[in-house]
Amino acid sequence: MTTPRERILASIRGGLARACLPAGADYPTARRPASSPPAPTPDLVERFVAALTALSGHAHRATGASGVADVIAGIARAHRALSFISWDDHEIGCPGLLEALSSRGLARVTYDVGGDPGPRVREAEALAGVVLGVTGAFAALADTGGLVLVSGPGRGRLVSLLPPVHVAVVDERRLRPSLAALLAEEAGLLDAGSNVVIIAGPSRTADIEMTLTLGMHGPTDVHVILTT
Amino acid sequence: MTESALAFHRRIDTALADARLRQALAMTTGRLAGGRAAAFDALPDPVACREEARHARAAAVARLDFYLDQFARAAAARGCTIHWAETAADAREIISGIARERGIRLAVKSKSMATEEVGLNEALEHAGVRVVETDLGEFVVQLGGDRPSHIITPIIHRSRQDVAALFQEQLGATPAEVEDIPAMTALARRVLRAEFLQAGMGISGVNLAVAETGSLCIVTNEGNGRLTTTLPRVHVALLGLERLVPTAADLAAVLAVLARSATGQASSVYTNVITGPRRRSGASGDPPCGEPDGPDELHVVILDNGRSRTLGTPLAEILYCVRCGACLNACPVYRHIGGHAYGGVYPGPVGSVVMPGLHGLEDWSELAQASSLCGACRDVCPVKIDLPHLLLAVRREAAERRLSPLWVRALMPLYAAVATRPRVYRWAGRAAARLAHAVQRGGWISRLPGPLGAWTASRDFPAPSARSFVEEHRERKAASA
Amino acid sequence: MMPRPARVQLFATCLVDRFFPAAGHAAVEVLERAGVEVHVPADQTCCGQPAYNGGFAADAAAMARATIDVLSRVADPVVVPSGSCADMIVHHYPALLAGDAEYGPKAAELAGRTYEFTQFLVDVLGFDPPAAQAGPTLAYHASCHGLRGLGLREQPRRLLRAAAGTRSADLPDAETCCGFGGLFAVKMGPISSAMLDAKLDAIERSGADVVVATDVSCLMHIGGGLHRRKSRVRTRHIAEVLAGHVHD
Repeated sequence: MTTPRERILASIRGGLARACLPAGADYPTARRPASSPPAPTPDLVERFVAALTALSGHAHRATGASGVADVIAGIARAHRALSFISWDDHEIGCPGLLEALSSRGLARVTYDVGGDPGPRVREAEALAGVVLGVTGAFAALADTGGLVLVSGPGRGRLVSLLPPVHVAVVDERRLRPSLAALLAEEAGLLDAGSNVVIIAGPSRTADIEMTLTLGMHGPTDVHVILTT
Repeated sequence: MTESALAFHRRIDTALADARLRQALAMTTGRLAGGRAAAFDALPDPVACREEARHARAAAVARLDFYLDQFARAAAARGCTIHWAETAADAREIISGIARERGIRLAVKSKSMATEEVGLNEALEHAGVRVVETDLGEFVVQLGGDRPSHIITPIIHRSRQDVAALFQEQLGATPAEVEDIPAMTALARRVLRAEFLQAGMGISGVNLAVAETGSLCIVTNEGNGRLTTTLPRVHVALLGLERLVPTAADLAAVLAVLARSATGQASSVYTNVITGPRRRSGASGDPPCGEPDGPDELHVVILDNGRSRTLGTPLAEILYCVRCGACLNACPVYRHIGGHAYGGVYPGPVGSVVMPGLHGLEDWSELAQASSLCGACRDVCPVKIDLPHLLLAVRREAAERRLSPLWVRALMPLYAAVATRPRVYRWAGRAAARLAHAVQRGGWISRLPGPLGAWTASRDFPAPSARSFVEEHRERKAASA
Repeated sequence: MMPRPARVQLFATCLVDRFFPAAGHAAVEVLERAGVEVHVPADQTCCGQPAYNGGFAADAAAMARATIDVLSRVADPVVVPSGSCADMIVHHYPALLAGDAEYGPKAAELAGRTYEFTQFLVDVLGFDPPAAQAGPTLAYHASCHGLRGLGLREQPRRLLRAAAGTRSADLPDAETCCGFGGLFAVKMGPISSAMLDAKLDAIERSGADVVVATDVSCLMHIGGGLHRRKSRVRTRHIAEVLAGHVHD
């Protein structure tokens, strides 16, 4: 008695044996892309900022927990936000940031959506009033204006997803030219967490009459604070 | 002509008569095609990018048994439950079973052509599961009870007034809530956010799966791909078995051209790579030691439904397709008739090969006749599939199975017999010219007989010349010698 | 680039032969003016493209073999005043006859010395068209198979720019298919018609007096539509323009 898996694989092998693929489809192994990733260029920051801005994202520069907290407090004020959810302090990559935010009157809310739908709905409803989500980032990509976020302990996915405003704090030295360049450096990146997401600007849709609207399901506003 | 071919022609007539649809198609495909062109122009080496994307897909398909097995093992090692669905019915049964066993009553879905292909929503509704589409376009399609008309932008066929009416009828929206597109978008966001929070299951497709890591890559602009695969405790991903790339570097190569081809964006807003369910670390596996969110269960349903069979046919190259929709936007036929006319889940040039490939020629070969073989599709395919070549392969198979109309089947061998006999050819040409002379006026014929009348329904036909070029040339040469 | 040949064979194509002999004569005239002797094999017929596109491989192969025989009696290069027929010979004959031990190599050999008309003039002869003179405004429609099959983007345009000078008009969507597609025009009449309407509307917007192309197949389709609309716009094969035959 064969299993579906065995039957499917056998069917694939049978198909391959009939050799109907185009010439040159004789690839013994997967290979790295032929074009090697371009060397990091000095203008990575400028290119990233330009790409992010073109996507209606906002770029800021700041130094230290105090400087970053000032920027975030400004964003919070603009959105009348009094609370936020966030990654753990040591995951954001700006030591002392959470304390600095607290001293500026911003309350950090914690959440736990691990339970069954009932409790989860209540937890999420409690988060409904939270406007701001603060994360770090594993890297940022200059060619697309993208942020690379890896899930893990202290690095919840929902922080960059549920609230309408997402603030990401990224060390300038984590800028890379492209995803290909980043992967060439970090071979195990995809497996570093259950979720690796590249976020390029705010959520958007143009499904109705090709008219662009921001903030469909994800954040409407994305702020990236580049730190030195 | 078969019944399904006749139905295709009727749907074409309906589409061509819909002026509003044609205007919407022209606007949408024009914009998407223009976006694609600009996005590729911005690449330092667009030719190399398409080559590398093609290589990534071709490498996977050329050893699909190896890479699919590698993917399944890697994904399982990371905590995924792997299911193998040979047919659409199997896929429906497996996913319904997952829901039934867990008492799931509500599922949210991010956009997946594969789930349309297997008719999943209906099966789940039968099993007592309410299914909510969360991609805005698919949500509107679901509310309206019809079908998407484009792989990427599903509701080209709907105006904003259509959507407003649907939201009022089906969601009880007030006029203020549907007064403009931002308002309607905000309403949909609110309604769907509640569904995301309540749902026991999230269902997604997979744009690309990475064999070496067992990862699933799902791209969206809206963010529903992230919410669907994060909030519900159970995530079910339906993966067409051909949608693999060998390594992470190969994934990057395809991503470099995917969004550019689909919409002209350098990158989709959310490129979501999922490797296993939420990770629990520590002996007890409690959330505080592990990831704070994400699904507890991740089921990957590997779907065959005719794909492995296609590998063994001349249509095999279509398995490289990454469903970007660029060929739809480039195709002058699609631009005039839209997606619904094709009658199946996959429209346009790719659909004209995939539908006969997966579901058989008897019902679908006529789609491949709806092409002038202009080649615009081949020029824009990010993985350089030779679509005209594949369309011809469908036509060849159809001709061998005698699916062409009778007059064509009679005409071709006759024409070949004449054209391989030069003297008969010359004679036939002279006879045709003499015949035409009787009905032509000013060098043009306004009515052709029988099936050829389809030409003269809207255009005139030139009268053949009394004397052929070859004859005239020979006489001139003789005269001047 | 191959060395400049003294003599070529002209494969007129069935449509030029039967419907537009003027294009054939013009092609001969232009080639002879360029210093090339032109031989027209008397027993040439059809390249077989209609059968090939319909999926009738055996019938297409029969016509392909006959055409190969006609054009292989001498080794002279073959010039074809049609992008689609040239593409057929260059790309599809070798594929169609790949399994034929005798005609496979012959198809490859013929493909290696077959050129579309403008391709031959520009790439092989380095031809300089006569300078622009007064006359009607010309717009160029890019026939699909020449454009995408043979990569003929520049050659026809260069010749036309030189010949028409300031009398050339830009045709919007010049590279969009006119909807001919061989039997497609009849089997899918309504779609073909819709595509033609779009092309005719673009022609009207361009303000051109004459539409020029490398393929008479497109021109008979466009011309048939123009005539039905009672338009004053005419069609000319690019050979006729280069031979100075644009006036009625």
